[in-house]
Amino acid sequence: MKKLWLFVIALGLAVVAVVSAQKSFLPPLPKNTKVSITFYNYNLASAGIGAEGTKQLIAEFQEANPNISVEGVPAPSNEILGRLQADVVAGRTPDLAQIVFADYEFAINNLGVKPLEDLISERELQTHYVGLHPRGLALARLNGKTYGLPYVFSTPVLFYNADVFKAAGLDPNRPPRSWAEVKKYALQIKAKANKAGVYVALHGAFDWMYQSLLLSNGGRVLSEDRKRLSFADAPALEAVRMLRDLVSAGAHPNVAPSDAQSAMAAGNLGMYLQTSALQNYLLNASKDKFELRSAKMPSFGTKTVYPVNSGSGVFILAKDPLKQRAAWELMKFLTSKRGYTIITSKIGYVPLRPDIVKDPAYLKPWADANPLIKPNLEQLDRLSPWVPIPGQNYKQITKIMMDALDQSVFGDGDVDDTMKAASVRASSLMPNQ
Amino acid sequence: MFPSSTKLEPANIKTSDTPSGFGGVGNIAGHVLLIALSVLALFPVYWMIVTSLRPANDIFSSSLIPTSASLENYRTVWSTIPIARMLLNTFTMSVLLTLSQLLTAILCAYAFARWTFFADKFLLGLFALTWLVPFQVTMIPNYVLISSFGWLDTMTAIVVPQFASAFAVMLLFQSLKAFPPELIDAARIDGANDWLILWRVIVPNLRASLASLAILLFISAWNEYFWPLLVTRNLENAVVQIGLQMFLTQEGDLWGPLMAAATFASLPILLLYVVLQKQIIESFMKSGIR
Amino acid sequence: MNHAVLRVNQPPSTKRRKSFAALATPYLYLLPALLTIAIWVYKPLLQTLELSFFDWNLLPTSPKVFVGWQNFSRIFELPEVHQALWNTLIYILGIIPMAVVLPLVVAILTEHIQGRARNIYRALVFVPMMMAPVVVAIIWRWLLNPVQGIAFEVFKTIQLEPINFLRDERWAIWTIVFITGWKLIGFSTLIFSAAIANVDRSYLEAARLDGATEWQITRRITLPLISPTVFFITMLTVLLGSQWSFAYINVLTQGGPRNATTNIYHLLYEFGFGSFAIGWSSAAAIVLFTGFGVLAFVGLKLMNKYAIYET
Repeated sequence: MKKLWLFVIALGLAVVAVVSAQKSFLPPLPKNTKVSITFYNYNLASAGIGAEGTKQLIAEFQEANPNISVEGVPAPSNEILGRLQADVVAGRTPDLAQIVFADYEFAINNLGVKPLEDLISERELQTHYVGLHPRGLALARLNGKTYGLPYVFSTPVLFYNADVFKAAGLDPNRPPRSWAEVKKYALQIKAKANKAGVYVALHGAFDWMYQSLLLSNGGRVLSEDRKRLSFADAPALEAVRMLRDLVSAGAHPNVAPSDAQSAMAAGNLGMYLQTSALQNYLLNASKDKFELRSAKMPSFGTKTVYPVNSGSGVFILAKDPLKQRAAWELMKFLTSKRGYTIITSKIGYVPLRPDIVKDPAYLKPWADANPLIKPNLEQLDRLSPWVPIPGQNYKQITKIMMDALDQSVFGDGDVDDTMKAASVRASSLMPNQ
Repeated sequence: MFPSSTKLEPANIKTSDTPSGFGGVGNIAGHVLLIALSVLALFPVYWMIVTSLRPANDIFSSSLIPTSASLENYRTVWSTIPIARMLLNTFTMSVLLTLSQLLTAILCAYAFARWTFFADKFLLGLFALTWLVPFQVTMIPNYVLISSFGWLDTMTAIVVPQFASAFAVMLLFQSLKAFPPELIDAARIDGANDWLILWRVIVPNLRASLASLAILLFISAWNEYFWPLLVTRNLENAVVQIGLQMFLTQEGDLWGPLMAAATFASLPILLLYVVLQKQIIESFMKSGIR
Repeated sequence: MNHAVLRVNQPPSTKRRKSFAALATPYLYLLPALLTIAIWVYKPLLQTLELSFFDWNLLPTSPKVFVGWQNFSRIFELPEVHQALWNTLIYILGIIPMAVVLPLVVAILTEHIQGRARNIYRALVFVPMMMAPVVVAIIWRWLLNPVQGIAFEVFKTIQLEPINFLRDERWAIWTIVFITGWKLIGFSTLIFSAAIANVDRSYLEAARLDGATEWQITRRITLPLISPTVFFITMLTVLLGSQWSFAYINVLTQGGPRNATTNIYHLLYEFGFGSFAIGWSSAAAIVLFTGFGVLAFVGLKLMNKYAIYET
């Protein structure tokens, strides 16, 4: 009898221990404990402002947290997930990773990314969230949990060459607002200024701008319950037909995205809908050559425009509590006022803490000198998250979809048929409901 | 795998003293063809260098001769990536790979050429077959293995998986097969054992072909890209080819610095080629190296 | 064939009573190289064979499910694979003119060009061989840039509609074939020149004395005599040509536009590192290895049967 009691008590204690273990959040780092963490980052993988800004972020963080050392691991954005997986397979779990929003659901399900709510106390989270734009916070939220914090991201912006506008007899102070206007302007640019009209940079491996375009016409790539692909539904098809029309009318050149970028940089393109992250690159290229300006993403008639973000969040992959804590500290710094000041002014992404634009201690001086940031900030209030495609085959699905889009816009064949056929094929790769 | 009619050694190039084969017309056609081919071969390299010398706002210019040469792009490369360090790494890697691949190939080819032993044909076949195993197959497992050894980001990770080269083994095997047996007999009579025969008789006599093989191995090591890219993390430990990728950025391709970096990456090997051009071509001509 | 000359002179007596040390000697010499390929080539290959029967993404958290031949049947159903196989064939056949035919013609035509000129030509055409594939890819991307590239300027000058070489489905694959070939022309030309130079002059003189024309000599004597080399280069191109194009695909098109330039190697890379569809990529790799293995075997047999050796 006594034994049984002991057993029950032990069991009870064990249960309490388990429950409280689940409830216990990461304690602050003990003093005098050195922790080193890895930070997988794609900005580090390219020379220039992205890497410089990131290095500065890491350096400032280490200075403020002398007991944490951060090893930046560079990997190109389209390969960063492969690198993360390979290292998880090899038993070298990365600690903190910059993950493109298209990939983060896969990372949650396969690489053991835990919701922040499981690691950090509600109070600490809320304290940090103050000042963060709620639309931004929603970007890494899935099924009611926050898995990471948005890090570097941007929105689609219509860059335009004011000199080309003037040469075409257009008023640079009145950029086009709707797609119909874009077409008219582009044709005029082509006819009068003898330059390419407009390029919509939605082709490539990632579908964020495509999602934005569909949303702005009342369509979606993925149904709201995340179970069905809806990129071949009527509003979506209509949006793609609009692009096809731009190309067939000669308003939009048929070139690769990277070439369009060079064209814009060289002053040979009138309008360019692209991530705002390109701003610094284009500004440098336009120096002494032409005047670069930017406007908000154009609309379908009078419909509301829904800008979708590109970019990435930061996610904790570490298993060890000390490293988790250190990773969280770094994460907090990256998304702090100081962090976003560096991110915006040095790298050129949207500040997720919009208040700092008015704060002279942070971004105000820079924002005053860089009016191009404005359309980007205004779009933040209507920001819609870049929705990840679910399941193990999400990359193939995205590829099928983007190939079909490319074919529809630039190739021959019927737009509707192409997109519908792709939808059938891609749907067979969706996870079972 | 190798046509046995081509021999690495001895060199028996005969220069024809007969008059031109297809008459004067053929000769002119030949010159025209070769000039066209030379231009085709050289122009892209020339264009790379010319572009690298153009300032940023003149980068898209298409004048054949740079009107305003500037070293701005080289400065950019110099200040954004540790290019000197990378060149040194590349050099170290190439030397290590060349030496290890030469050594393993000498030993291997000697064994195959000298003795008949159990499974010799099979093992030789295994070497030849490695050419058919694509890098894409071994990439992930080898990455995982390297990573679990804790070798990531080290020279060891780059060098060890390529410690031996099937190409070098096969090539040396060909020349060893054609090695004059009398020399070995003489050595044996002098009481030399297998090991001494290899190092005192065969290797000195194969110096010329070993040198040309070394040059080839060095060039191919210098141009390595995908594997070093996979196993290095820190630019301080990277090879120069990887530096190129840094300029194909998210924020736009930086053509000027990119071309300057490409020139940095190719210049040492091109200089080596200019200096050793005669020997390289000769060794190719002699050996029929593939 | 003078196979294994070194062996002939071994005293026959040692053959019968070989000590263990003697038996082990050749293997000791082989050991370093053999270990290297065993660990870094054949072990992963065997692993790949195993994984081709499983549905698994290598992650410790996900289950490793045995699926039998399903990966194999699945990959043959994928349109991407069909396209990739077809493109692989185009790469192989497309590279041959530049890696074999053109160099052979050049080598024959230039056979009699002498002295300095010849050395200069040889040195120049060989330059592309020195360049790293990645550098080559980047340079060509720059040259062919459809908006500002030099190729575009050329089209503008001759008033033709510019071709979008890397973007147009009709041109993209041929562009990559061309770039792959560009790097190989000089190399093959040299090899063929060497082979021609090595042809015994006495045959040619004899034919000339008999009144044969130069064309007859080329066709009846030179070509047959260098046939092993031609055969060899052809085989090398067939077996490795599409593998060589990988670097260019990877840097220039990533398989696009719309899979027009993908080949089986690029697909392996995409399946493997891109989406970690390890089962698929392993199955594709095994099919590939077997296919090219058979091709190599048949090629070797043909070579030994039909090639004419000058001995």
